[in-house]
Amino acid sequence: MAVYERTWRRYQGELTSLRRRWLVVTRYALSDTFASRIFTAFYAVCFLPSVVGLFFIYLSHNASLLQQLGMPADVMSILTEKFFMILFLWQAVPAFLVAVIVSPSLIAADLSNNALPLYLARPIDQREYVLGKMAVLAILLSPMTWIMGLLIFGLQAYLEGGGWWLQNYRIGLAYLVGHLAWIVVISMLTLAISAWVRFKPVARGALFGIIFILAGFAQAMNEVTGTSWGDLLNLVRAINSVVMSLFGAPTPSGLPVLFNWLTLAAATALSIWLINRKLRPHEVVR
Amino acid sequence: MSQPESSSPAAIELDGLTVNLGGRPILVDLRASLRGRAIGLLGPNGAGKTTLLRTLLGFFPPTAGSAEVLGFSLANEGKQLRAQIGYMPENDAYVAGMTAVHFVRLMAELSGLPPEPALERAHETLFYVGLGEARYRKLGTFSTGMKQMVKLAQALVHGPRLLMLDEPTNGLDPPARKRMLELVTDIRDRGEAYIVLSSHLLRDVEMVCDEVMILKNGRIAATCDLEAERKANRSFVELELQASSDQFARELTELGCELAVHETGRMKLVLPKGRTVRDLYTVADRLGVGIRHLDLKRDSLQDIFLRAMEDDNGGV
Repeated sequence: MAVYERTWRRYQGELTSLRRRWLVVTRYALSDTFASRIFTAFYAVCFLPSVVGLFFIYLSHNASLLQQLGMPADVMSILTEKFFMILFLWQAVPAFLVAVIVSPSLIAADLSNNALPLYLARPIDQREYVLGKMAVLAILLSPMTWIMGLLIFGLQAYLEGGGWWLQNYRIGLAYLVGHLAWIVVISMLTLAISAWVRFKPVARGALFGIIFILAGFAQAMNEVTGTSWGDLLNLVRAINSVVMSLFGAPTPSGLPVLFNWLTLAAATALSIWLINRKLRPHEVVR
Repeated sequence: MSQPESSSPAAIELDGLTVNLGGRPILVDLRASLRGRAIGLLGPNGAGKTTLLRTLLGFFPPTAGSAEVLGFSLANEGKQLRAQIGYMPENDAYVAGMTAVHFVRLMAELSGLPPEPALERAHETLFYVGLGEARYRKLGTFSTGMKQMVKLAQALVHGPRLLMLDEPTNGLDPPARKRMLELVTDIRDRGEAYIVLSSHLLRDVEMVCDEVMILKNGRIAATCDLEAERKANRSFVELELQASSDQFARELTELGCELAVHETGRMKLVLPKGRTVRDLYTVADRLGVGIRHLDLKRDSLQDIFLRAMEDDNGGV
């Protein structure tokens, strides 16, 4: 059927797999995200800390280059957990910024003009829709965080040789688990905000508010009560403590690390509940 | 009222379907077997038309009873069913930042079309609904009529077996309304898809549909096979005499007419099979009764609708 015929007929061709249908949501959201050249450039810049980390590891194993640069040959000694912890932070911050930029429009764009019923009137359900949107953030954030982290860890293990990787396996574990935990928490949180707040600037402000104002409130609570229970509300400290414990370093929170995990789990569960409340295929008239 | 023939398979089978929302009954014990190619859902605002459509799409779980659409059970074959349906909602539904072709292609892919056929059909469908020239414009810039057409395009793009149209002519000016109804009629006439048209506009339903279900307060007030009604062609006559005549009324009754006489001399009557208006003139001439006004009409959907609305019990 050609367009000039201006006619309609039923589709009789092949259909894609029902199980992978939610990936359509992801693919379109990613394509919309990268339609902005400014974002694409910013996204590339977000890999800079990891590239610098890779270069530094290469440099530390290149004696002649170190000599030319006038650096001490035992620079390797600083390639300890501290280097990897700092690098972790420098990966997590850009990842957070990417989430802040991308997520406000992920769900809000579909809700603001009531497009959600059109999605859900097709063979895709609420859960798959959210999975599709969450996958956007996972696909965007993974390469710049745990994938690059493991690549750096692998390069260091390869160049160092011997049993380095076995002695320092916690570093790799911290990169994998720590970043994945952060991606899940931040994705669900930003999606929940996107579902409830339709204006991008307000949504971004709300995210900063939840993360940083809540942290300030938690700190004040700790000061007033003289305890560390305020840390239950402090997402930044919770993820920080979890990551530190994964690295085997002392945690900044006064609470056992299990409580920090519980804080992250509670934030995720609350986000899922909020998303579930908002994502209905119809407007609720009260 | 005549019921549709039972030989064709039912497009929609409702078996005691009941839906409560917020503790209130919205649809109550709906039982019907709808076999028409184009089914009209009629009823005043709040009758439950949209809720019924949404329930058939799986948006609301039935509180009691069950339903089958195109042979798929609502309870456990929801996804397979939705793959066969094209849904055009009543309200605005679009993603403002997307171009029409991008949006319609997305909807096609969500329905299962691979990317290339989806793009091809998105172009074809937009041309079909008359938006070919506007297909690269962002939806946020579209007029109301164009948005309605895009909604129709996204409902059609994957070639569904059943098209659910919720108030498709809402907000359209007369030419756009005519165009919308022509498109729906064209789809119906191709015979490749069933159509469910929900509307409170009798003319729209009468033009497009061959079977009608009238809802009132969440109950079925009437169902009727419009096609059969048209074929039966029962003739209704309204006439006004120059002076009332009991004899004339008696003679018409003897002819087999069902009639109601108003004291002003105005009469409403149904002509029996084999009788024509000419017989009325013959009787009037024989009795010397002058007929001031005579209006012949068949049993219109409006009459059926009004009768259904007058029935307090809401029964068929």
